[in-house]
Amino acid sequence: MRGFSRFLIATLCGLVLAVGVHIVSILATPHLAENDAFAKIRTLQAGDKAQIISPPGAQDTWLPFPDPAVAVATCAYDLREGPMRVSAQTGANLLSFSFHRESGGVFFAVTDRAAVRGELEIVAMTARQLDEARAAEDENEPSRDVRIVSPEQQGFVIIRVTAPTESQRRIAEEAAKAVSCVTEQGE
Amino acid sequence: MRVPSHATPSVKTRTVPTVVLILYSLLLALGLGLGSTYLVLQGDPPFGSLRVGPWRSWPAMGSANADPYMRAILAQRSEIPLAIGEGLGFTAATDSEGRPLDSACTYRVGSVVPNARLWTLSIYGPDGRPPRTELGRSSFTSAEVVRDEQDQFTITLSRILHDGNWLQLPAGGPFTIMLRLYDTPGATGTGLTESAFPVIQRVECGA
Repeated sequence: MRGFSRFLIATLCGLVLAVGVHIVSILATPHLAENDAFAKIRTLQAGDKAQIISPPGAQDTWLPFPDPAVAVATCAYDLREGPMRVSAQTGANLLSFSFHRESGGVFFAVTDRAAVRGELEIVAMTARQLDEARAAEDENEPSRDVRIVSPEQQGFVIIRVTAPTESQRRIAEEAAKAVSCVTEQGE
Repeated sequence: MRVPSHATPSVKTRTVPTVVLILYSLLLALGLGLGSTYLVLQGDPPFGSLRVGPWRSWPAMGSANADPYMRAILAQRSEIPLAIGEGLGFTAATDSEGRPLDSACTYRVGSVVPNARLWTLSIYGPDGRPPRTELGRSSFTSAEVVRDEQDQFTITLSRILHDGNWLQLPAGGPFTIMLRLYDTPGATGTGLTESAFPVIQRVECGA
């Protein structure tokens, strides 16, 4: 009987610990995953232009469940080097930006409805860089930049351009590739 | 006579198992903990799903409020969700009567879709890739689909040729349908009722 109750206690301890192991492993997965989107995007060659990860047509991409009518391009960013300015010329087709954190999760998204005179421009920065930018600003000439604060130093921007018909796929791909992502050097 | 003979084995059984019991509980914890994590990561996020008829969506997946399960699953699938401001994606793995989608059957999907600037309806094989078929097309957009006089549409999913809007299903096995609403006012989850979504009707099987 005594042996059985000890066995029971051990089982209970095991169950309680299992809950802990489950929680820790779920929380750790986005940080440990070697195959997540950020890890794949980081291996792309950095440049001033966005890189296509899923061309319209949805062939030849690692992205699961790709939409054949959408060109998906991306820029990885590292705000330690300075704020990141993402800008695109908008056209007739839907164009959107979404900002993703390194550990997963979207923190900002905008579509071309927010574009001003055919141009959509967003500056991603850290809270500290935002303070500096505000301090450096001329009060008589306030900046017109749309600034967003990134919760993490690293992350990536996803650019989606839709191609409503098959003949527009090439245009959509070109539009997605033409998006520029420039790191601004701090003054 | 009886008492000592009884005590001796009980002492033995108590000293040996302590280590064994600790090991047992640790192994149990690791096995159950990691096993349950593995199982959860293979499936869909357990919380926060929006269910409209056969269509399912996880709106929080594309927001800053994604729960740890969603983040872990996204990382594991290397998926990039549609952000809430961009649109909303819905997945169907069953027809409107709850039967799993099977490419041996013929389906009719229609005839309305919630209000959006653009929608796309695509089919995918079990591996999450668009199926490679002779037709060479695995999706329709709202701009491509042919509508009737009431501005309604029907898309036929089948392995054999159909007139009208037709998507060819792969040779065999299950498949899923994804409906993506881009730049929709309903992205927050309001006004999405079952009557606004396309019905997935199974016409016949085993043709």
